[in-house]
Amino acid sequence: MSFLGLIPRNVLTRKVRSSLTGFAVAIAIMMVVAMGVLTHSLRQTAISVLQTGKADFTIAQKGTSDVLYSSLDESQVNRIAAYPQIDHIVGVLVAAVALDSQHPFFLELGIPPDQLANFGVQIVAGRPYTADATDEIMLGYRASSDLNKTVADMITIDTDTYRIVGIFSIGQVFGDEASMLPLTQLQTTERKPGEVTLIFVTVKPGTNIPALRSQIEQDNPGLATVQTVSDFGRVDRNLSLISAANEGVSVLALFMGAVGVMNTMLMSVFERTREFGILRAVGWSRTRLVAMVMGEALLIALAGAVVGTGLGYAAIKVIQQLPQVLGFFHPEYTAAVFGRALGVAVGMAFLGVLYPAIRAALLEPLEALRHE
Amino acid sequence: MSSGNGSSEAPAIQAIDVVKLFDGVVPALDLLNLTVVHGEFVALMGPSGCGKSTLLHLLAALDMPTSGTIIVNGRDLRTHGNERYRRRDIGLVFQLHNLLPHLNALENVQIPMLGTGMGRAERLRQAQGLLAEMGLSGKEKMTPPRLSGGERQRLAIARSLANNPPILLADEPTGSLDSASVERVLELFRRIREERGVTILLATHDTHVASIADRIVYMRDGRIVESPRPEVSGAC
Repeated sequence: MSFLGLIPRNVLTRKVRSSLTGFAVAIAIMMVVAMGVLTHSLRQTAISVLQTGKADFTIAQKGTSDVLYSSLDESQVNRIAAYPQIDHIVGVLVAAVALDSQHPFFLELGIPPDQLANFGVQIVAGRPYTADATDEIMLGYRASSDLNKTVADMITIDTDTYRIVGIFSIGQVFGDEASMLPLTQLQTTERKPGEVTLIFVTVKPGTNIPALRSQIEQDNPGLATVQTVSDFGRVDRNLSLISAANEGVSVLALFMGAVGVMNTMLMSVFERTREFGILRAVGWSRTRLVAMVMGEALLIALAGAVVGTGLGYAAIKVIQQLPQVLGFFHPEYTAAVFGRALGVAVGMAFLGVLYPAIRAALLEPLEALRHE
Repeated sequence: MSSGNGSSEAPAIQAIDVVKLFDGVVPALDLLNLTVVHGEFVALMGPSGCGKSTLLHLLAALDMPTSGTIIVNGRDLRTHGNERYRRRDIGLVFQLHNLLPHLNALENVQIPMLGTGMGRAERLRQAQGLLAEMGLSGKEKMTPPRLSGGERQRLAIARSLANNPPILLADEPTGSLDSASVERVLELFRRIREERGVTILLATHDTHVASIADRIVYMRDGRIVESPRPEVSGAC
């Protein structure tokens, strides 16, 4: 028997209580994992829209609740294009439509055909649409596969029917699951003449990008430039709110789990007063006693974290099947999410065990031995 | 004071003018003086409430005297009476065993060894040896609730010897045992004293138990009254 071996023995002595506490921790961790994956994935999905193509940075309307609600005038596209540091820009109108119950979030990208190469589009089958076509569309190769449609097939979006003239790849999942059609046609069907959603900017070599972004924003107070994920909140307040909610859930989960751990460990310390007295009487130090109590709390929390991570994974699988998120929620399980869950679990253990451990440390051996 | 078999005249335990007041007014020990030499086996007798257990608790550094000095192996417990002292210098045997019920016999014996720097194999060997010495071979995996009263007390004695302490303090170790178990436990104390040369201070109500000691010390009202004849009874 070793000191470390004693910790699980003590935890398993009170199986039901330890299990219930571990389960409470697991529920809290499940929330942390599920919210973390959900937030991260939604953020990645949204940022994917902005990072479609080969641009150095993207410009959107400042302060919109959702990036897809960004509305820019084509005249602004021309103004931005006039900056000498800019090599080329692409103004894109983005629209989200529901194809059917299996594809409730299908993206249409309106781009002039002469801008496709600048946008990084590669035609893998068929040909590009023509600029003034009203019934031609291209599908990303993932969308083509998913919808089981190929060149020369017809596809109906809302009430409009298009002939698929080409299949493209843009080297990015979100774009490859979308469709592309002439900018003017999408502006017409969306009733947004002369309007684009985003401007994708590619600069000349050697350009100081931060300085250029700063200059554009100074010259155009209604615009926001986005280069990294951290910039994203400036053009999508919804996602900022979700991120804030995620932070809040983590903090709440931390305290919820900590209270559970504290309750269990406090009861354990009260019940085991005599045991602690015996350990002190045979020469155990206060430090060793505290280490044992903390070790037990940590073990319960870590076991809860493992179960909670599994539950969180299961919860994400369930969320993934919800029709509301089909098509745009692609879960990404990052080390950061699991690291946060582990951190919260360890935090729960330490917060929860602090007071019980202090109580155990302050027990006088003789008083503890007299405890019935 | 007399010294018995294997004892030397150097004091192992010295209690000098020890006073212990409970709640600041109730005297449990009243200017108590006691000296026990190395290797001596001393029985402490007296009526309930005379201060036997209080004295043992002070000697075990589980409590502090209100005034006076306690010196064990030449060191003042006011400065050295800590967990290291309890772990290395003394072994404690209680009337109610005070074993950990969820751990088996082998694990209970190893509990005091944790944190002493002893390796796992050495701990195991030492614990197995002690259990064999106490006649508990074959009971290593049994938890205290599955042992008889006598076996539990022998297990408690094994635990008290885990770190080879030079002094053993026993508080009514036979108080809850049947007569057959009492004899077995007394035989163990005799052997421990003879083979290990351990200084033993044993508190008891039982004159028969006290009779195996080198010396019987009577206590009354928190003071000591020495008697050279263990067979004298009536004080408790």
